[in-house]
Amino acid sequence: MPAFTPRTILPRLVASVFALALVAGCATPPPADDKEAMVEWEQVNDPLEPMNRTVFAFNQAVDKALLKPLAQAYREAVPPYGRDRVRDFLNNLRSPIILANDILQGAPDRAVQTLMRFAFNTGFGIGGLFDLAGASGIPYHDEDFGQTFAVWGIGEGPYLVLPIIGPSNPRDGVGLVAEWLGDPVNLYIDRVGEDWAMWTRSGLAGIDKRESLLDTLDEVERTSLDYYSAIRALYRQRRDAEIKNSLGEKPTPGMNVSSAGGLSNESH
Amino acid sequence: MFSRRSLVAVFALLSLLALSPSARADATADARAFIQKLADTAMTTVAVKGLSDEERSKRFRALFVDTFDLPEIGKLVLARHWRAATPEQQTEFLKLFEDIQVYTWTRRFKDYGGETLEILAVAPEGETDMIVDSRIKREKLEPVNVSWRLRNKGAEGFRVLDIKVEGASMAFTHRSEYTSVIQSAGGKVDGLLDAMRKKAAQMSADNTAAAAAAAPSRAN
Repeated sequence: MPAFTPRTILPRLVASVFALALVAGCATPPPADDKEAMVEWEQVNDPLEPMNRTVFAFNQAVDKALLKPLAQAYREAVPPYGRDRVRDFLNNLRSPIILANDILQGAPDRAVQTLMRFAFNTGFGIGGLFDLAGASGIPYHDEDFGQTFAVWGIGEGPYLVLPIIGPSNPRDGVGLVAEWLGDPVNLYIDRVGEDWAMWTRSGLAGIDKRESLLDTLDEVERTSLDYYSAIRALYRQRRDAEIKNSLGEKPTPGMNVSSAGGLSNESH
Repeated sequence: MFSRRSLVAVFALLSLLALSPSARADATADARAFIQKLADTAMTTVAVKGLSDEERSKRFRALFVDTFDLPEIGKLVLARHWRAATPEQQTEFLKLFEDIQVYTWTRRFKDYGGETLEILAVAPEGETDMIVDSRIKREKLEPVNVSWRLRNKGAEGFRVLDIKVEGASMAFTHRSEYTSVIQSAGGKVDGLLDAMRKKAAQMSADNTAAAAAAAPSRAN
């Protein structure tokens, strides 16, 4: 068995994150009697900021040297039609995980959607290469364990920038590990001993994701004063919307700007 | 005396009851019309092909200043630092904020064309605000969900207070970012203004460079 299996990498990753936290230290909270600063501190939710900034800088270096050029090359080399096939295929592979999370979140309607999509696309869509279900009115939705934990009422914990993976938090990080170890597709690949397939899948998923974010991240970097905190704010709000499944669906009556700490009229 | 006063009160209450449903319906229709007009104006005046960058940014600025509540956004974004700032700092902040937004959006509008806005829902938010949920449909690309927070300014009509794009609020994101910059400048608003000045200058230069690159024949 090669040394680079998920089971050997994870403990190393976790250990290096903790080591970094010890070296980089924590951010200093404001004095307790400064109420507004305290509220702000809690909203920002980033007590590990010095460490996070270090990892963020590392990620940016890796991104500039490797990930972004790869994503750009992928966009150059593969026409949109081909990239759509890759995305549809990867999305279809996620179906078992999404189905499990739909069920764990107590969303039977969405579970049925996921199941029907999987059956339809795997069969008629030639192993998932074509999202025929989406074209005929059953849209794709994503779910993951982090979202399920959130639905169960588990808090996110402090903001955490993971090496390579990027913005996250302990809850979503644990979710990621659970997914990585429990994904039926990965388990099957592991059982038949074709590890290359798992790495190819993860690599492709990473490049597909980075390609889809090329323009957005460039824009955020171009227009922000502090890229790190802009990404932090955007990530947390986006995640909040994903958990509530509030995007592209009927808005919930109570929706307001104050999600993820949001806007209150405290400025007066 | 007593009965007359209570009569007035009853009458006021009755008229309020009679008026409020229709007033609310009016406000909803007004908010919808405001956003539709804003989108139409943006598409027909700013997102026009073949405009010079200067003209495009002039048009965007006019629309932006006219439809967004910049002073109120400034207060939201700077939060507690707004009150700590001197009037001069506040003025300069608003000016720089406006400039940065103009540079940001002028460049984006250059690539736009063929987008249409569909309004999904309009709902009141608190006493003075309305939330308009919309979806921007793009050619060959996934639609974008945009939620607008409008403030009713009475006689002036509505002004945009915040935009949420795919769940991310512009004001919240800027506040988080600017607070962080102020913090790393030792809590000084001047530190933020300095960073904003640099950013505005850099973006302005970038836009000019991009325009020159797009029209090499003019450079020769």
